[in-house]
Amino acid sequence: MANFTKTLLLGAAGVLAMTAAATAEPVELNVWTIDRQADPGYNYVMADEFMKLHPEIKINIKRVEFADWANDVMRAVATGTTPDVAYVDNPNTPFLSAKGALLDLTPYLAESKIVDTSKIFPGPLSSVTWDGKIYGLPRGSNTIALYYNADMFKAAGLDPEKPPQTWAELYETAKKLTDPAKNVYGLAFSANSNEEGTFQFLPWAQSTGADFDHIADDGAVRALEVWQKIIDEKLASPDTLIRGQYDSMASFNAQNAAMGISGPWELPRMSKDAKFDFRVALLPTEKAGDTRASALGEGNNVIFAKSKHPKEAFLYLEYMYSQMPRVWNEFGFLPSYPVEAKDPKWADQYAVFAESMKYARVRGPSPDWAKISKAISTGIQQALTHQADAKTALTTAQTTIDGIVKK
Amino acid sequence: MSALLRSLRDGRGFDVALAALALAYLLVFSAFPLIYNIAMSFQEVDMFSLGDLVRPFVGLANYRTLFATPEFWSIMSNTAIFVILCIVFQLAIGFGLALFFQQDFIGASYLRGLFLAAWIIPALVAGAIWKWIFAGDFGVLNYMLMSTGIIDEKIFWLSTPAISLYSVIIANIWLGIPFNMILLSVGLAGIPKDMYEAAALDGAGPWGRFWHMTLPMMRSTIGAVTCLGVIFTLQQFDLFASLTQGGPANSSNVAQYWSWQLSFQNYDIATGSAVSVLMLGFVIVVAFFYVRSTRQEYQA
Repeated sequence: MANFTKTLLLGAAGVLAMTAAATAEPVELNVWTIDRQADPGYNYVMADEFMKLHPEIKINIKRVEFADWANDVMRAVATGTTPDVAYVDNPNTPFLSAKGALLDLTPYLAESKIVDTSKIFPGPLSSVTWDGKIYGLPRGSNTIALYYNADMFKAAGLDPEKPPQTWAELYETAKKLTDPAKNVYGLAFSANSNEEGTFQFLPWAQSTGADFDHIADDGAVRALEVWQKIIDEKLASPDTLIRGQYDSMASFNAQNAAMGISGPWELPRMSKDAKFDFRVALLPTEKAGDTRASALGEGNNVIFAKSKHPKEAFLYLEYMYSQMPRVWNEFGFLPSYPVEAKDPKWADQYAVFAESMKYARVRGPSPDWAKISKAISTGIQQALTHQADAKTALTTAQTTIDGIVKK
Repeated sequence: MSALLRSLRDGRGFDVALAALALAYLLVFSAFPLIYNIAMSFQEVDMFSLGDLVRPFVGLANYRTLFATPEFWSIMSNTAIFVILCIVFQLAIGFGLALFFQQDFIGASYLRGLFLAAWIIPALVAGAIWKWIFAGDFGVLNYMLMSTGIIDEKIFWLSTPAISLYSVIIANIWLGIPFNMILLSVGLAGIPKDMYEAAALDGAGPWGRFWHMTLPMMRSTIGAVTCLGVIFTLQQFDLFASLTQGGPANSSNVAQYWSWQLSFQNYDIATGSAVSVLMLGFVIVVAFFYVRSTRQEYQA
């Protein structure tokens, strides 16, 4: 009986709220995104559809360059001119939620019929969680895996059905496929001095049990030593140290590298440029059967704490979240919770990346991720250029990280 | 009221108004950012207190953090190497070219104009071109050196720690030569021709004329060009961003790029400000010499 009254009351409140919304002034939501209006333009598509469903809500989208994102958001928070809703890259989310810049969604989620946070993959979920509260909803994710050129495998007498599973196999395969006379490297990846280097290295370390807060563990050291060996023996181009993932993968597409580590964002370009049978395998682990780990990319939709229309903003977040089954085919993101993707593009590659999502781990989470990431990529580069051995370089990185985390 | 208007139109008021405008401009666009920057280097700053003026004062803590970073001294010495080598070569080559184009031959002034093309190219575009030249696997330079048999193995110009800084220096020397050449040409044009003729009559050879006439007459121009060169070299950012991003392992990192990395990549704005204050101190010294060398120009 008590329950029934409660439902009735809630229902009445709901009706009241709806009439209030109907009579009130049209609500305007300011949304910041890094999407382009021209290409897939996730937020532009979502906003159009949402406004058709909710004519009383108007969405103004402002596009921010990804490179300027932090600056623009900084300025907005400092001057109190934050938007209602924004896209935030996943490692940067804790930075904002820890400082109280974002709206705590937990009470809204408790009443939501659309969002069930327990379904979200652990990686994306931990990127929006801070101190037990939820500060955003993933819009989609991405992760990395091992691309390989099946034609080159065959030509070298390797079985393309059996891509390398372990670090040792990866090394051996890369060695067999490297052919300096033909300008072919065995492997392409990125170990540059910014976020991408850390992004690529962390899964290797994490699959051995290490992580950013104990990055000098033996497993991480062994992982870095494998990287060293690959660079020293020129199984990957020395330019790996100054190249991002996209540039590195261009050499895979041009058949100047037989394998490459990168994410699903490569697929549109690869299907145009790569004139060979390209396949994808899960990232190798140190030993067969080890725990898997993969990197987590893409980000979250968040509501800023100072939003004047948190309810409407949350409705928009809910709507975007509910569209997860479409994100792969239309926008190239991997779903952040298990969905049934109908007729996915690049079905074989999708299957591998979708599985890899289960192992995708968040970077951090830490409000100081940018500094931590820099310490790790500096350590990686010191070891790869032999300014220090892997153990020393990672121990130095750990000391720096300890200083950041303790502060 | 009318007295004030009249004084504004032509009188002391006009002078004061003009000076006040210039002063206001300087205060708003130069002094304020400078002081703001210096203040930040003594404060605890994060992204969220960026808009406040009152922030926790931490004294020299940011500077101590800075000096304690393991890469501090290597970045400072990189900066010194970068500035010195760039200036020496830009000046020497620029001076050589200026003297060359000072000679009377057909098309001299057109050719000199063509050199300016390099200066017109935005540094970011120049960076993209040099990246293509220096690329390790498929770079133009490696291709040329290998096909002429000068080297047998590819040189990874941008990703070898011992070389990367020098690659950026080469690109920056190329970028700075036209500027040096033009300013020095202007200086050369200011030396009266009849002096040379008189000296030639007195039996001074070309070397003698260069050492005893051109160089002394050009002293203040060279001083000014050097000072401006130091400032421009310390400003060079785009080439680092497009060629090496300071890597690998900070081997080609310099103060100006580091300051940006600290502030806008690590969001460690206070330490980034501290780096720029150090640079500021150095630039003030250079600017002092610049002002002195141009003052001599007026007197001369």
